[in-house]
Amino acid sequence: MARIVGGIGSSHAPSIAFAWDAGHRDRPEWKPFFDAYDPVKDWMAALRPDTVVVIYNDHFNRFRLDTYPTFALGCADLMPVADEGRGKRPLPDVPGNSDLSWHLSRSLVADEFDITMCQEMALDHGVMSILPLVTDAPWKVKVVPLAVNVILHPLPSVRRCWKLGEALARGIASFPADERVVVMATGGLSHQLQGADFGFLNPEWDEEFLDRVEKDPESLLDMTHDELMDRGGAEGVEVIMWLAMRGALRGPQRRIQRNYWAPVLTGYGLLALEPDASGN
Amino acid sequence: MSVSPPRRIAYTGEVSRKGYRMSKFFVGLTEEANRTVFKADPEAAMQRAGLTEFEKGLIRERDFLGMLDHGVAIYALGKAGGSMGLSLMEIGARMRGETVEQFLATRPLNRQQS
Repeated sequence: MARIVGGIGSSHAPSIAFAWDAGHRDRPEWKPFFDAYDPVKDWMAALRPDTVVVIYNDHFNRFRLDTYPTFALGCADLMPVADEGRGKRPLPDVPGNSDLSWHLSRSLVADEFDITMCQEMALDHGVMSILPLVTDAPWKVKVVPLAVNVILHPLPSVRRCWKLGEALARGIASFPADERVVVMATGGLSHQLQGADFGFLNPEWDEEFLDRVEKDPESLLDMTHDELMDRGGAEGVEVIMWLAMRGALRGPQRRIQRNYWAPVLTGYGLLALEPDASGN
Repeated sequence: MSVSPPRRIAYTGEVSRKGYRMSKFFVGLTEEANRTVFKADPEAAMQRAGLTEFEKGLIRERDFLGMLDHGVAIYALGKAGGSMGLSLMEIGARMRGETVEQFLATRPLNRQQS
């Protein structure tokens, strides 16, 4: 039986990808950010997951405005890294796990999540700005991408995302192969890119969110998108994807890492949790 | 210290519809061939995309706030920036009516150091 061995929440950003590719990790604005991922990468190496399910959003690199799915699951065995408009990054294609993806498709649809199934899935910075920070290329883990609409309103509710995570956990638990799975969500924390309030940050809210998503996630489930955007900015609404990750983690969790760094444009959050075997 | 909410912006279907043609044009710039055409002859590329004179004017002026008001998606603007030689931060500073240097001076990283 497959089981979830860890959960990660992390911000994503094109600038992380640029900084990584350009070798800027020791610059003052980046060092506290990248250093925080080192223990997570070590933990991942020790955990030896077979597959990482990445809950993320695409930025018009796989889905365009002609067709925009609310929830879409990648069901491919090899996925290219997207050209996001500034050329391709020097990263290898990413192995998928179509057996698990098709199983999850059946399980999620039976569980009333009518996801879009994608046999081609170019991966943008929603996945690829963070994947190299938690595991080394060439990729030793397989990736199952689960894209969530956080761009074109109406968006799924916070509670709906939580339930998606719960359904995802049921799907993983019923997969017959002996697989170790990490569930990772990317996005947030506070930032607003649109309009004259470009650069909006709210570290106070971000720290509160990190506290609550770890220790009391259900206290966040009734928040509306407007409340999330008022506190975290228009693009800060991406944190709804963290609730899907958190909904997939059942029982007591041990914190492996928590970090927050908001130097310029985005409140960068990082949280890594591991199911606490002693508490179960 | 509590932070005041930003101006609330939700990119709805109705907003998206207004800027659909421009968003689609910019998203097409994720293809190298389209970037090459746009950089070599932007007027011809805009003409071929069927943009209106108003829309062409927004692009010629690099009026990103105007493009947002016209319903262009923020991530489509990011792709436009890729072909215009502008980073997201340069686009953002323009939306705030600032230079990049002015914008960076307001950032926590630089406030901590000063």
